[in-house]
Amino acid sequence: MAREGDRGASGGAEDDPPIFNAENLQSNIKSIHYSRTFLSIIGGVIAGIWGFTGLTGFIFYFLVMAAASFGLAAKAKFSICTYFDSWNRIFLDGIFGGLMSFVLFWTYPLKTTFW
Amino acid sequence: MAEDLVLDTAIRDWVLVPLSVVMVLIGVLRYFVSKLMRSHQAPDLKVVKEGQVILRARNLRAAAGFIPAKSFRSRKTYFTNEENGLLHVPKGQAQNAQAQMFSDPNLAMDMMKKNLSMIIPQTLTFAWVNFFFSGFVAAKIPFPLTQRFRGMLQNGIDLSTVDVSYVSSRSWYFLNLFGLRGLFSLILGEENAMDDTQRMMQMSGFGFDPSRSLSAEKDGIDIIQHEWALPKMEKRAEDALKKLLK
Repeated sequence: MAREGDRGASGGAEDDPPIFNAENLQSNIKSIHYSRTFLSIIGGVIAGIWGFTGLTGFIFYFLVMAAASFGLAAKAKFSICTYFDSWNRIFLDGIFGGLMSFVLFWTYPLKTTFW
Repeated sequence: MAEDLVLDTAIRDWVLVPLSVVMVLIGVLRYFVSKLMRSHQAPDLKVVKEGQVILRARNLRAAAGFIPAKSFRSRKTYFTNEENGLLHVPKGQAQNAQAQMFSDPNLAMDMMKKNLSMIIPQTLTFAWVNFFFSGFVAAKIPFPLTQRFRGMLQNGIDLSTVDVSYVSSRSWYFLNLFGLRGLFSLILGEENAMDDTQRMMQMSGFGFDPSRSLSAEKDGIDIIQHEWALPKMEKRAEDALKKLLK
């Protein structure tokens, strides 16, 4: 997830109207999307193996997503405006898309039935 | 109330896993087939020209602060002038372009092909699932649902006392359909996932695109207020240097 240095999306010359380098912004958003998808799949498998059911599983999913958001914010050194155009991108984007993958991979290893 | 049915591992081996594997493989196959079948249209000169005009207009909007007011105004009139401005499309002509695009046989064939390549594998797989894998409990979904979902999720199972969490393979198919979208975007790289909804939106908007975006750009340029940033640059340079020296 190399998003340092050359991946800064907003130009440095203006601070009143922020100019965004569209290509870099796009690539940053894509890397968030990939990492969230991957984490939701892995999280689903883990939730299934540990045997979470019902509400516990969903809470686990949102915990994983929150940890992912925190990790992404930390990687962007907490200065969101150099890499993205709004805070919502990091925190909310792709959460509900990942939910379906999470549920799918959660159902697979579910302990109470097959093992 | 929730009696724990123990499902046979044979179900897992021979139903769930093959179904998922088949769906992944069909997705990959469809991706490659659509890549092969994409007929390469020679780009239309008029469309390319309009695209470039739109790009120029957008750059003008974004960088308006860097050019003096007079040049900005002259560029603005060049674009939005009523008689011969580039972005001004008279109403009659706009409608014509759209109608022509839809009746153009090449474009219509392309859209048909894309549509079919979406729909046929889904239909076939669904029919296959229904034929082979109906009539037994396939999986247990981990969260409880209300009784109203019973008809949807437990389609082949005729017992009415079984917990709603035990679903038939048809619902496993749908679960796979939605859940594998994320996986496809990881494997096939860059949003080439099963974005059938996105693609349909894209296709329905294609005929409109040129004329509507032109008028949108025109409105954007009309609205913008010119604020020349250069006088402030000296002050800004001074601030930046001060910050460095601190």
